[in-house]
Amino acid sequence: MKLSPTGARFALAAIAAPLAVWGWAEATATIKFTEMAAKAGIQTNHHTRVFPGKAADVLRMFTSGGSSGAAGDYDGDGLDDLFVTDSDNGKPNHLFHNNGDMTFTEVTDKAGVAKGNDPKSIVADALWFDYDNDGKEDLLVARFGTPILYHNEGGGKFKDVSAGSGFTRFGNTIAAVSFDYDNDGLTDVMFGNYFKPLNLIELPDPHVLPNDLDNAINGGGVTLWHNDGKGKFTDVTDKAGFGKLTGWTLDLGHGDFDNDGDQDIYIACDYGTDRIFFNNGNGTFTDTTEKSIGFDTRKGMNAEVTDYDNDGYLDIYVTNITDEYMKECNMLWHNNHDGTFTDISKETNTCATLWGWAAKFGDFDNDGWPDLYVVNGLRSAGKENYIPVLLNNLLLKPGMDFTDVRNWPDIGGMTWSGYQKKKMFHNLAGQTFKEISGEAGTDNEMDGRGLSVADFNHDGKLDIFQVNADQKAIFYKGVTEGGGNWAQFKLTGTKSNRDAIGARITVKAAGLTQMREVDGGNGYAGQSSKTVHIGIGKATKFDSVEIRWPSGLVEKINGAAIGKINKITEGKGLQTK
Amino acid sequence: MRMRNLTPAKWLLSGALLTGLIVPAFAASEAEIAKAEAAMAAKDYNTAITVLEAALQNDPDNIRLGSDYRQAILRKSVATYKKEGNPVDFDRCISFFEKLVAGHPNASMAYLNYGFCHVDKIAAAGSITQVLLANTALTQFTKSIEIKPSWIALYTRGNSYLYWPVIFGKAGLGVADLERAYAMQKSEPTRAYHQRLYISLGDGYWKQDNIEKARAMWKEGISKFPDSKQLKARLDRKDDDLKSYIDDQLDPNKRVDTDLHEIWEAK
Repeated sequence: MKLSPTGARFALAAIAAPLAVWGWAEATATIKFTEMAAKAGIQTNHHTRVFPGKAADVLRMFTSGGSSGAAGDYDGDGLDDLFVTDSDNGKPNHLFHNNGDMTFTEVTDKAGVAKGNDPKSIVADALWFDYDNDGKEDLLVARFGTPILYHNEGGGKFKDVSAGSGFTRFGNTIAAVSFDYDNDGLTDVMFGNYFKPLNLIELPDPHVLPNDLDNAINGGGVTLWHNDGKGKFTDVTDKAGFGKLTGWTLDLGHGDFDNDGDQDIYIACDYGTDRIFFNNGNGTFTDTTEKSIGFDTRKGMNAEVTDYDNDGYLDIYVTNITDEYMKECNMLWHNNHDGTFTDISKETNTCATLWGWAAKFGDFDNDGWPDLYVVNGLRSAGKENYIPVLLNNLLLKPGMDFTDVRNWPDIGGMTWSGYQKKKMFHNLAGQTFKEISGEAGTDNEMDGRGLSVADFNHDGKLDIFQVNADQKAIFYKGVTEGGGNWAQFKLTGTKSNRDAIGARITVKAAGLTQMREVDGGNGYAGQSSKTVHIGIGKATKFDSVEIRWPSGLVEKINGAAIGKINKITEGKGLQTK
Repeated sequence: MRMRNLTPAKWLLSGALLTGLIVPAFAASEAEIAKAEAAMAAKDYNTAITVLEAALQNDPDNIRLGSDYRQAILRKSVATYKKEGNPVDFDRCISFFEKLVAGHPNASMAYLNYGFCHVDKIAAAGSITQVLLANTALTQFTKSIEIKPSWIALYTRGNSYLYWPVIFGKAGLGVADLERAYAMQKSEPTRAYHQRLYISLGDGYWKQDNIEKARAMWKEGISKFPDSKQLKARLDRKDDDLKSYIDDQLDPNKRVDTDLHEIWEAK
């Protein structure tokens, strides 16, 4: 390993860390989860879209990413509920009300949010956000098609307001995040689009697949939509600086990467380079990919953001494909504090997670250091392996046009990167990670896609909802014993967007400073809770708590409680403990 | 001698030297080589490339000219582009040799260098492109063997097969080539470069899950080359530790040092 400046920093930090976190290390417990999806009533079964015609098999495989889950408190009872997508024609999506006792009740029909999978559209992602700041979480359903925007009418009912929303542009959307890019107090929306905007079901042109499997430039890019208020959104993609992107976007991760008070964006792309854009603070962004991270040829699947090493700067975790036949390695982009990042996935043991999909940070043992759960697996089926078939019948055949869906060999009952064990990484004081999925009880072999992390029963232990492609969902209840103390923070914006997306909370306790941001849907095909969960080890009080709101207001919070949810309203401080 | 890594390419060229493939070609191009080396030393890669392209036009089967030319291309790219170089830069080498072998269809060593052009690009390329490049390299190595089944070409192709994951079932092809090269070297006096074949052939057996045969080959190698660190490293390891070691040695993302200069300095 070459010892880069960052590597050298890590070497020094590794020596210092045991001293700095000595008190915290005592709080280390064995991270444990127990699976209870069926018992909880949320063992949904996902179905990928079945396509008509000769290209059905290949298209089904290429669109198998539409299994997603979103955690959000739609009824304002303080508990995160779950919206779960399906993808096949006519299959309903699901809304589950959280009963607070680790059981859920399906309320889809009453809420009126089942639809989305019609003969021309495929549901692929979902997002809770309060676009009109009325205090009720609205629902956005992203599709290979046009999105559906549901307004939360209250009383557990939703109204489809798509027609008047401005979301009329067709896209093969696989990812959606909401954040207030211009800090005007309204959350905006960015869509990540996989294929170029062409209806795959009607397939007017069979040349829809990547034109290069390492440097493709015929994907769907992204679109950015400005929230104008009054339920209207305007396409500002070109104006903001994203109009030239043609990558195969699979995920989006936002955050204030340079600590300047506005939200920047990381765009993870399949079949080619990821992109990072910094917010200029004037409604436009600058593509700093070459300087910040360099161009890559990997298969970016996920963009998750947190300050994993508690150095006050947000870092980014991207999954790629690292399997027997492809050695890409994931990327843990350590923030160098100067607009550049260094990939330290190898140094931190987070490089190889097979065919990666979603990855989510969460402090699963409440020791103050965000751990990491990564799902993987493309297609678990029969004994025959698709890779040699693909190699010999497409990749190594001279003159084959990869873009033509008709040239791809049928997969039939074959397996492709299937039966892969999930990876749980325990964060060792921000220096490295230890893979513990076996002992944690999370080493399932499903074809994972999306993750939602939340404390669904308010016991101070984060739980994980995992959705899978063409398979049943998994629900892991956090049951770690002997973990550290914790606190949660539910922020409500007043001048800022009401969801407080982009708000930054910085806490100090027992000598450790932690910074977290409220995110609007980072990570592939899954939205985690907007309630910020912070583990604090053995500490029994906060030395300080500070909120930096998107409006720019910096607010010191006194009296934040340990072991409880602290509700904080912008400009008004702590409301309840 | 520039020993950045103990890599197969250098050693396989030693074989070429000693099997009389190269030496006759040296004399005709000494002036060009000297001029190119001076340019390389001055990091004037453009001049080196131009000189060597011209020299290769006159002496296409000269493996040394081809090797130096590829090094000039590589060094220029790495000097101006971080990491492993800009993939596009290597296309000049590929394009040049494509035309060269078209005009000289019996130039076995030109085909070998043509294959190496693709190998040189692999570390700079994406994971799928790596597969395509590796496959094309095999095609060129095969043509080199068809023209003249030399130790070096057999060793090169055999060793190349070992870089392919087991799932593609190429280990057997690699072992077959390496066994042919092994038979060739058995008929020669022991040379330093022979240890490379013991390593690779043992690795091939290991990839076929024939651990005993692999260890026997490595043991035979170390009996002749007791100072070989790579042979010792294999014999000192077992099970997962050995797998990790060999997997690391055959990692397609690590640049294979195809600088063949060693053979002209090795005695």
